[in-house]
Amino acid sequence: MPAAVSETERVGPRPPARPDRRLRRILHVDMDAFFAAVEILDDPTLAGRPLVVGGTGRRGVVASCSYEARVFGVHSAMPTAQARRLCPHAVFVPGRHDRYAELSRSIHAVLQRFTPLVEGISLDEAFLDVTGSERAVGPAEEIAWSIRSAIAQELRLDCSVGVAPAKFLAKLASEAAKPTAGPAGVQPGRGVVVIRPGEELAFLHPLTIETLWGVGPATAARLRRLGVHTVGDLAAVPCDVLEATVGRAHGRHLGQLARGVDDRPVEPERETKSVSQEETYPLDRRDRDGLRDELLRMADAVATRVRRAGRVGRTVTLKVRFGDFTTLTRSRTEPAGVADGQAIASIARALFDAIDVTRGVRLLGVGVSSLAAPGPASAEQMTLDLDRAAPPRPGGVRGDTGAPGGAERPSPAARRAAASGAVDSVRERFGAASLGPAALLGPGGIRVKRTGDAPWGPGAEPPGGAGGPRSGS
Amino acid sequence: MKFRCERDVFLEALSAAGRAVASRSGALPVLGGVRLALSGDTLKATGTDLDVTITVEAAVSGGADGVSVAPARLLTDIVRAVEPGAVVLEAEADELRIASGRSHFTVRTHPSGDFPRLPVPSGDTLSLPAAELFEALRQVTRAASSEDSRPILTGVLMAAEAGGLRLVATDSYRLAVRDLPGVGVLAAGQSVLVPSRALSELTRLPASADVVLRLGAHDATFEAGPVSLTTRLIEGEFPNYRQLIPSGYPNRLIVGREPLLDAVRRVKLLARDATTPVRIAMRPTGIDLTVVTTDWGTATEDVDAKYEGAEMTVAFNPAYLIDGVEAIASDEITLDTLDALKPATLRPTEGDDLLYLLMPVRVS
Repeated sequence: MPAAVSETERVGPRPPARPDRRLRRILHVDMDAFFAAVEILDDPTLAGRPLVVGGTGRRGVVASCSYEARVFGVHSAMPTAQARRLCPHAVFVPGRHDRYAELSRSIHAVLQRFTPLVEGISLDEAFLDVTGSERAVGPAEEIAWSIRSAIAQELRLDCSVGVAPAKFLAKLASEAAKPTAGPAGVQPGRGVVVIRPGEELAFLHPLTIETLWGVGPATAARLRRLGVHTVGDLAAVPCDVLEATVGRAHGRHLGQLARGVDDRPVEPERETKSVSQEETYPLDRRDRDGLRDELLRMADAVATRVRRAGRVGRTVTLKVRFGDFTTLTRSRTEPAGVADGQAIASIARALFDAIDVTRGVRLLGVGVSSLAAPGPASAEQMTLDLDRAAPPRPGGVRGDTGAPGGAERPSPAARRAAASGAVDSVRERFGAASLGPAALLGPGGIRVKRTGDAPWGPGAEPPGGAGGPRSGS
Repeated sequence: MKFRCERDVFLEALSAAGRAVASRSGALPVLGGVRLALSGDTLKATGTDLDVTITVEAAVSGGADGVSVAPARLLTDIVRAVEPGAVVLEAEADELRIASGRSHFTVRTHPSGDFPRLPVPSGDTLSLPAAELFEALRQVTRAASSEDSRPILTGVLMAAEAGGLRLVATDSYRLAVRDLPGVGVLAAGQSVLVPSRALSELTRLPASADVVLRLGAHDATFEAGPVSLTTRLIEGEFPNYRQLIPSGYPNRLIVGREPLLDAVRRVKLLARDATTPVRIAMRPTGIDLTVVTTDWGTATEDVDAKYEGAEMTVAFNPAYLIDGVEAIASDEITLDTLDALKPATLRPTEGDDLLYLLMPVRVS
C-alpha cells in the first residue's frame, strides 16, 4: 500500500488581472456538507442522523460529515477512529467519488447559466464573476439567491453563497453564510452573505488570523508572538515587519489580504496543461520489475485522465526520488501526441531503465505534459516501419513483407487510440477495475490506479482536494 | 605537475576536451573534471562522460611531469577570464594553482585515481579525408534519434558499400543515406554503429586534412590533428533500411533548393507547435506551401517548380523537411513521392550520393 498518493494537474497561466478590481462582484458557492448531503439524497433514511463520509479503515480520515455529526465535534480531516469515539452512533459510509463528481457536473451546469466565468475549485466549491452579468441578470445578491434556489429545486442540495468584491472575501462570506453546529444543535445558516464595497474591512478585521488563506498553525504562532490575533491587528503591522516575520512574498500577500486586497481573477475553463501521478512508498524500493509495473499502473491512470481531458500529450516525464531525497526527472518529447497507457508506460520505462535504483526509490512519478487537442486525425506523423525492417527475430510473427512504409493498415497510433477508447467505454460501464493491463493482474484482481479510489485511505491527501480538484469536470 | 603555456593554446585544448565532459547532473563527480597529464613538453587534456572521450594534445613549456583532474567548467572559465599571455599551472596534492599576470587561483582537484581508465582501441589505422567525412556526417547525423530509449537509432551506421563507405541514420520519421564512394576503409560486409552524438562532436572539432580511424571491438577512435575522440560503439543490429526505400516513384518534383528552403522557413512561422505540418500542393507549374494553425492563422507561399505526376497534396513536419533540404548541397533538389502517406525521397538533382527519406504527416 502506498504511503501517500498524490495527483496534480497544472493549469495554464492566469489571464491578466482586471484593471478595476473595486467594481468586481465575485460569488463563492460552497455546497453544504456536500458528500454527506449526496449520501442523504440517495438514501433519505439517513436524513437527520449523524453521518460520516470518509475512509472507514483503521487509518482513514473524515472527508465530510453531516451537521448532525458536527454537533458532536466531528469535522472533516479528523481521523475516522476519533470520529467514532466522539459519535459512536453515527452512520459511517466510505464515499463514492464518481457520484459526487456526477452531481458536481450538474451543479456546474446550473452555475454556467448565470455566467460563463465559473471557476471550479473542487467538487463542491466554485467562484463566479458576475460583474458583467449584473446588468442582464440582476444584482449579485439576487443572483446568489437564484443560484441557491435553483440548486435546491433541481438537485435537492443546499449551498451557501458569499458575495464580495474579491475571491477570498467571497469565500469568507460563504463561510459566514453556512449552517452552524454546536452543543445546542444545528442552526440554519443565512444562506447568502454579502460584503458590499466599503464594508470589507469591517467584516474582515474582527476575524481571527487563521481564517485567512495561507495562515496555518506555524504562521499563526509567529504572528501571535507579534501580538497579532485578529485580521485587524495584522492590517496594523507595517509591511516590513510582516515580511521579516513570515518571509517576503508571504508577508506581502498577507498584508494585502488584511487590507481586503485580492486581485486574483476568476479563471474559467482552466485548461489542463499537464497531468501527473506519483506515489511515495513506505519503504525504499529496489525491485526493478515491481517498479516497472508501478510505472505501467501510473501511466494507465495518467493516460485515462489525459483522455478524459480530451487531449493528447507529447512529453512524458519520469520522476524518481531516492531515499536520500535526491530527485531525478527525465523526460522525452514525442513528435506525435500520446494518450494511451501502454505508450506512456513504454516511454516512462525506457527513461527508468537508464536510472540506477540501487540507492532505493522513495517516490516514483509519471507525468504527461505538452498537452494539446488531439490532431483531429488531421496531423499524424507517419513512421517508417522499422520493426518490419528489423532482422527477423527468432520466433517472431512478423513474417509478412508488404509495401515500404506500410500505410495500408491503420497506423499503430490509430489502432492504439481505438483500443484506449474501447477500454474507456468498458470501464465506464463495468468500473475501473474491470479491464486493465495483464501485468497488473494480481490475486485480488486488477490493481488499477484511478482518481477517487479510496482517496481518504491511509495517509491520503486532505479531503478538500480529494481526488484532484478538476478530475470530475 | 607544473607547466607554462599561452592562454589561448590552453583555452582551445580545454574547450575541445570540455565538450565530452559530463554535463548531466547525477553523473559521477569526477566526470565533471578535465584530466591534465603532462609528459615533457606535451600536455594532454581529457574529458569524458564514459560514452565519448576527447583528448587534446597541446605543446607547453613543461616543468614537472604529473597528472591533475580539475573541475572542467571552472577551470575553463578561469582561463578564459584571465589576461591574454602566459599562464602557469601547478598541481600539488589536491589543489591546482593557476597564475596569470596578477591573477592567482587555487582550485580543489579530484583524486586523479578516480578518473576512469579509458579504452584505447588497438585496431589498424584507417585514414579518411576529413573535409569530406565531416560534410557527410553533418548531412546524416541530423536524421539520427536523440532519444536514448531506442539506442540503435541514436547511432549512425558506417558500412562498407560497393567499395566505398556508406553512412546511414534514422529516427523512424526520416532516414538519411550518404555514400562516400572510393573511401574504402572498411572490409566488404563490415559495419559499425557509432553514436551520432560522438560524430556530431567530431564535426565540431577544428578541421584537419585527414581523420585517422581505429576500430576496436567495442570502441572506435577518430584522430584529427591534435585531437582524438573515442566513442563506444552501439551494440545491436541496425534496421534493414534498404527495405524502406521504394524502388520507384510515379511522381517527381524538381525545385530550387534555396527558394524551397526560404519558403518553408517563412510558412513555418505559422506552425505554432512542433506537430503542425506544412502541406505541399503539387501542380505541373509549381507548388503551394500551406501551414494552418487553427488558433493563429494561415501562411501560404507558392514556389516555381517542375512536377510530373498526379496532382496531389502531401504534408510534412516542416522541421524534418528543412533538415532534409538543408542537407542537400545542390541548386536543385528532387522530391519523389508515391502518395500522401508513403515515404517520400529528397535527393540532389545531380548526383546520387545522398538520399533523404521522409515520412509524411497524415492530414484530413
